Amino acid sequence: MKAKLTSKMTWVQIIGVLLFCLVAVFLTAHDDSLYTKPIFQVTRVQNGKVTKMSDEFHNTDYYHQQTLYGHITNGKHAGEALTIQNSFSNSGAMDHEYKPNQKLFIILHTKPKLHATVKDLKRDVPIVLLLALAVSLLMIVLKVHGVTVIGSIAINTLLFWGAVKLDHANNGAAVIPIFSILAVIFCFITLFLVMGWNKKMLVTLSAVLSATAITVLLTLLVFGVTHERGMYYESMQYVTQLPKPLFLAEVLIGVLGAVMDEATDIVASLATLKQERPELSKMQIFTSGRQIGKSIMGPLINVLFFIFMAETLPMTLLYLKNGNTWHYSFSMNMSLGMTSSLISGIGIVLTVILSSLFAGLWIKGDER
Amino acid sequence: MGSLTALGLVLLILMIIVGGKQGISSFLSMVVNFGILFFSIVLIAFHMPPIIVTVVASVILLSITIFWSSASDNASTTAFQASVLILILLIAIIIPIEYWARVGGFGLEDSEELEGLSLYVGINFTKLAICTAILSSLGAIAEASIAIASGLDEITTQHPKIPADQLFADGIFIGKQIIGTAVNTLFFGFFGSSMGLFIWFYGLNYSLGDILNDKIFAAELIAIVISLIGVVLTIPGTTLIMSYKLRRKQRQGQKTESDH
Repeated sequence: MKAKLTSKMTWVQIIGVLLFCLVAVFLTAHDDSLYTKPIFQVTRVQNGKVTKMSDEFHNTDYYHQQTLYGHITNGKHAGEALTIQNSFSNSGAMDHEYKPNQKLFIILHTKPKLHATVKDLKRDVPIVLLLALAVSLLMIVLKVHGVTVIGSIAINTLLFWGAVKLDHANNGAAVIPIFSILAVIFCFITLFLVMGWNKKMLVTLSAVLSATAITVLLTLLVFGVTHERGMYYESMQYVTQLPKPLFLAEVLIGVLGAVMDEATDIVASLATLKQERPELSKMQIFTSGRQIGKSIMGPLINVLFFIFMAETLPMTLLYLKNGNTWHYSFSMNMSLGMTSSLISGIGIVLTVILSSLFAGLWIKGDER
Repeated sequence: MGSLTALGLVLLILMIIVGGKQGISSFLSMVVNFGILFFSIVLIAFHMPPIIVTVVASVILLSITIFWSSASDNASTTAFQASVLILILLIAIIIPIEYWARVGGFGLEDSEELEGLSLYVGINFTKLAICTAILSSLGAIAEASIAIASGLDEITTQHPKIPADQLFADGIFIGKQIIGTAVNTLFFGFFGSSMGLFIWFYGLNYSLGDILNDKIFAAELIAIVISLIGVVLTIPGTTLIMSYKLRRKQRQGQKTESDH
């Protein structure tokens, strides 16, 4: 009977998810009027001539011409038919082959007569679909608690955007202070939402903040001793301000989630342990904390390692294919990601020590 | 000595202080993972098919991350099986999404960096974006599956007679706690790694629509959301495999009892 009920629930859930995703896709697919940039709907494509080309590093590629037929879907010229020329390569690093039914952002020129060039693909539909899928999966597995998790992401995103605003208003002169304060607020809100307002939360908060602070100081110390040899700040991407403080701020924020994740785990387990066996001494609590921590730290460091390293793959490959040495390609693309991973690792290991220490000192058996 | 080496040394020392032997193997797993990652890039540069190279590398990377952690044999075997299962599911989501969103390659924001580089290298950058998304999710899947498998293994060791349905409920319960914090790990990682990009967007007055359709932003968001979906799927995945194994073991146990 119970099994029947749950399987019925699952069907309701699957239909619910499908409906939610379909509605999200439908709405996003028809949001053209919300954009001020002109959007072009491709209805027919004619592929033209193909040229083989090769560069000085013996890379061969094929370059295609295509003509796109379609109409504009928004703005002043909505409904008007248009023909656009496009060219693309097989590798498609900066160009794309367009197909019927795709929507594109275009740049319109009205003189001498209406014509246009392609700017980029409209790709909000797949993004929204993926977000809808993630939100519905979270809600199914977490039920009511899902609202807290999604709410926490939303609040943090807004705060992050606010900090970016503030940083820009100061022309990047105060990037470290701004993002340090942001880090403290992030931790406070996130831990409050996960654990509530109690002593356990305060212990976790102090462990997280002190571990992060020590990590940054230790990093600066290492940079000082080694004179930052081998730090290629000039290889940082999308930099509009002084790169070194920005790099530190990036690592600071990047490691915060992992450190909170770990500290919450350790402090919660130690509090339960102390409750069940109040006779355990401070030293014994510290040792059990270390035991828990040493099994979590490896996998956790790898989570950030893969996030930081995977995104360097396309650029590293491009460097290698442009006749650069392996060493140079590594230095210019992967070494900063590797540095971030190592600094994060230091933060994660320090958290094991500090959260076990603080839990041992401050958590008593009679409270949860 | 360069800063990278010095930081590595500091990390190694700290890991040995905290974890002893386990600390050394955790450090080594990161070093070996890096080696495999770099080797895969070299293979792709020699025009081996990118997605196949990545999938093979991913299975190896998962096995190193999981089997070199300190989880028990039963837990790590289950975690590995579950994470490979989830990897296959994720690839099935990643490939259509990447072909639909076309986030491969570089955006206008990369122009300065691309100066002087030849872009026509004969490697399909959409396929590379698929590889990037697969690789970014590996750590998150491995961590989640280890955490749940270890928790459940602990339960089955202490109560070997626990009904499989009950174990499934326990798995989902442990999983709920894991998701809450894993979401933070992923999103803060995302905030950190794309902070420069966010500042760029703000400085150049991008609208919400511009950001949502921006190639580079979309690529990073897809990678993080895919990892999140991976973590969520890992929970029922690992729990199912664990309770299936338990059921089989209990049935065998009954058989041997009735034989005697």
